[in-house]
Amino acid sequence: MSEAAETTATAENEDAQTNVKANDNDTRTGPVFSVRNLWKVFGPKADRVPGDPEHAALSQTELREKTGCTAAVRDVSFDVHKGEVFVVMGLSGSGKSTLVRCLTRLIEPTAGTLEFNGEDVISMGKDALRELRRHRASMVFQNFGLLPHRSVLDNVAYGLEIQGMAKAVRRERAAEMVAKVGLEGLGERRPGQLSGGQQQRVGLARALAVDPQVLLFDEPFSALDPLIRRDMQEEVIRLHREEGRTMIFITHDLSEALRLGDRIALMRDGEIVQLGTPEEIVANPADDYVRDFVRDVPREQVISVRRAMRPADAAEAATGTEITPETLVSDAIATVARTGEHCRVVEDGHVRGVVDHASLLTVVAGLDKDSAGEDGMEREVAAV
Amino acid sequence: MSSPTLTKDETTQSSPPSSGSSGPRTTPEAPSALARFAANPKALALVVAALVVIVSGLVSGDGTWPHSLTADVKSPLNDLDNWLVDNRDTHWIFLYFLLHLSNTAQVCYDTLLSLLESMSYVGVIVVGTLIAWAAGGADLSRRALRTGGTALAVFVVCGVLDVWEPTMETLALMIVAVVFSALLGGLLGLASGLSDRCEKILRPVFDTMQVMPAFAYLLPLILMFDIGVPSALIATVIYAAPPMARLTSLGLRQADPTALEAATSLGADARQRLLTARLPLARKQMMLGLNQTIMMCLSMVVLASLIGAGGLGSEVYEALGALKIGDALVAGIAVVLLAVLLDRTTAAAGERLDDVATSGISRTVERLRLAVWGGIVVLIGVFAAVGTAIAGNEWPEGWVVDFSNSVDTAVDWFTDHLGSGIPVLGGTITWAQGFTEYVLNPLRDGLLATPWWGLALLVAVIGWIVGTWRAALTGVICLALIGWMRLWDVAMDTLSQVLAGLFLTIIVGVLVGILCARVQRVDRIMRPVLDTMQTMPQFVYLIPVIALVGQNRTGGILAAVIYAAPAVIRITAQGLRTVDPAAMEASTSLGATGKQQLFGVQLPLARKSMLVALNQGVVLVLSMVVIAGLIGGGALGYMVVQGLSKGDLSQGFPAGIAIVCLGIMLDRLSQPVGKRVRD
Repeated sequence: MSEAAETTATAENEDAQTNVKANDNDTRTGPVFSVRNLWKVFGPKADRVPGDPEHAALSQTELREKTGCTAAVRDVSFDVHKGEVFVVMGLSGSGKSTLVRCLTRLIEPTAGTLEFNGEDVISMGKDALRELRRHRASMVFQNFGLLPHRSVLDNVAYGLEIQGMAKAVRRERAAEMVAKVGLEGLGERRPGQLSGGQQQRVGLARALAVDPQVLLFDEPFSALDPLIRRDMQEEVIRLHREEGRTMIFITHDLSEALRLGDRIALMRDGEIVQLGTPEEIVANPADDYVRDFVRDVPREQVISVRRAMRPADAAEAATGTEITPETLVSDAIATVARTGEHCRVVEDGHVRGVVDHASLLTVVAGLDKDSAGEDGMEREVAAV
Repeated sequence: MSSPTLTKDETTQSSPPSSGSSGPRTTPEAPSALARFAANPKALALVVAALVVIVSGLVSGDGTWPHSLTADVKSPLNDLDNWLVDNRDTHWIFLYFLLHLSNTAQVCYDTLLSLLESMSYVGVIVVGTLIAWAAGGADLSRRALRTGGTALAVFVVCGVLDVWEPTMETLALMIVAVVFSALLGGLLGLASGLSDRCEKILRPVFDTMQVMPAFAYLLPLILMFDIGVPSALIATVIYAAPPMARLTSLGLRQADPTALEAATSLGADARQRLLTARLPLARKQMMLGLNQTIMMCLSMVVLASLIGAGGLGSEVYEALGALKIGDALVAGIAVVLLAVLLDRTTAAAGERLDDVATSGISRTVERLRLAVWGGIVVLIGVFAAVGTAIAGNEWPEGWVVDFSNSVDTAVDWFTDHLGSGIPVLGGTITWAQGFTEYVLNPLRDGLLATPWWGLALLVAVIGWIVGTWRAALTGVICLALIGWMRLWDVAMDTLSQVLAGLFLTIIVGVLVGILCARVQRVDRIMRPVLDTMQTMPQFVYLIPVIALVGQNRTGGILAAVIYAAPAVIRITAQGLRTVDPAAMEASTSLGATGKQQLFGVQLPLARKSMLVALNQGVVLVLSMVVIAGLIGGGALGYMVVQGLSKGDLSQGFPAGIAIVCLGIMLDRLSQPVGKRVRD
């Protein structure tokens, strides 16, 4: 786990750098997706629910009893930044799958605003919307959604075929994608002959083939067994590191969310309960629900020493191994245990603080809540 | 569905025994059977209704529909008939619409028949074999060779049996009928698969059509198109299109929603989604639909010989009329062979679709197959041009084996020696007479003795119990319509035959079904037998029956039982076999004996499929019983046959409607709510 988390961390750093470069060239520096007060209500006269403040206050069951409607997504707002992996996580029925489908209007949102690179998606006409789906955002599905009568190659090329690309060109491009997801030599097989993991690789290749700006994943690995799931997660991490593509990832699996996410939005009953980095969510649960959720997470593998350090006194500032503030507590523990002395947390050549046995154990024991957030870390909680 | 006790939902609302009546609740005993029975209003109503019927039947003795509630339907129908005869060539609706239809049908048939003739027998055999081989995959696999071989054998046997010419006529009829039914069915299926409103309109129409006996389609068509090939073709198309439409719609509706969503998410527009995802995903179902449509076409094309279709059917029909069992059997064998050929070929094509989905094909094989089909088209052209020059028009006389005489001899011997007069046992004809005398006659007399209102009450109660008040209402209306048309007595005769046939069918079907489900070896033996029986056209079943028991009502019932039993056996066996294995395992682990398992777990859990089997049995038995009007079954079927052969609308048409009414009524009474039978 720690290894994987570490790679994520390094991936993040690299991405941050590539993003800066990309943003320099790109005039649109705003968020890729910008969602404000989005609602999706199912049921009779659904459009009445979002506008009514009285309804907005009701719980899910009360709403159903009163109006016969179900609010799958209620009043959700967030931004997805360029190049990040934005994870939406929640239990089944929390509205996360509906939310991701609203983003490309596979499900029509009931109310709210939705912008893609600053363009209003809600007001898009059919053609503009198709253009968005064809070229800019593509999706990977939980149940793969492959066409059983086509070969792997033709499945991957399907999106390009829909765009109207010539056969030779699209097959060539599809072959590239098949290789990229590690399915070389299987291009002529049918989906029915592949294992679940391989099928999802085809789904991934199909989404990648159209070279979209944003990849949407709807619980892509839930149907796979744990080992394959882990493989696929690494595959996604690798792709993200190589291409720095913006990803929106839906999952119900906390460890998956923590491993992949740059930021995580935790949903419950259609609402975002908390939005923040994995570390923030684990270190600072917004309420008891989230606290319950993250209780079993090994804290030392998510929280960095930035949260564990204490101010150094003069003597300490001169000695001890140097580590960065992003170092995970678990790694710091290893270092401290090995050297037998404290570590210095160094950022930009300055000693920001030190960690020792006591301060690291405080994190592991979960006693660090009060000290968290003191060092000026921005906190994003729920609605931005 | 994990535990047998949970799913054992009795029709009772599982009302707990009221504590008031049985005193203080000291002993938590289960309520007695009587108490439980009294707590179930539906069962009570059934018993009361049955009592009323029996008592009233005993008391009144004559229960026919009151004359005051009838209407004279004959004279207006005669008027209509006369008008049609007078105006068929002049009225605009014929000139501008119906005549076009019938001319198109006739032209298609003539063209195809002359094409087949000009290809000569050599050409037909070669091309037919190649087509079957190509449908099986056009390679050296066992399947392709087997289908090709089947085709070759079927054609050669048809020639050798000296029925080449009628076989070609039937084949020409079939090709035209199949093409048009598949097109019509496909389009209707597309409409009802894509639009909910169309589905809502078409679904009940198809449901009703599925219940209607094939016989009922024929008369209205003679009305409009007169006797001849066009009537036969159009009747066939109408009869055979629904399965294609149904399964196309089902396939479109069952298409993997994620795949469709994926197509949308990649920006496919409606047309792209339909053509690249939805239709291909429905291919397998559509292939199944095509198979069913083809089999129904064959069944109807043969039966339509009654309205002048010609071909093998009319060979059978004429031979039956002249009591030439041998000739009938020869033509019947040709029909069965054709059925086997068509079924195997389409089934092989369907399997190939599966193969493509599971194992894929290489590009070269794909190209090869295309080349084979191209070659077939070229060959058709070549043979059409020079076929007659090579081999002459007709099957060579020297290559014919006369089979019918020996069959006739065998049948005569059979009738003489086994039909009657065997000491103690009696013989088949004696048995048939006994069955007529001791079962059919009392049953019919009983039905006739029961007052009409008693029967209506019984129908209403049964309808209410199995279905809803709507089923009850439909049943009563159907019954009333029959009485109103002055066909009450005749309909009761048919009904008695259907009930007797149904009873036997269910007994045979369920017993054999249980055997199939529980004994592997029986299943292995029965499977191909059932496969073949289910593909055979109804008409064919009459032939052996005449040989066995002669021309009488029992013969019709025997044919009906043979015809309907396979479906019942199959559904029963399937239902028993698909019982939740966890429940079976649980009962085994509790130490249940085989019998306990069968009666305690399998049968109760398979209740739904047993009901479906009952429903299918009713529909199939009825459709056969009326066809048996041809071989002395009498009653409604005979009236239709008479009407058809004499062109007498006023006699045949009401009888046809009465058959449909009986069909709808019996279907509704045997069809539990919310479980529409789907193929």
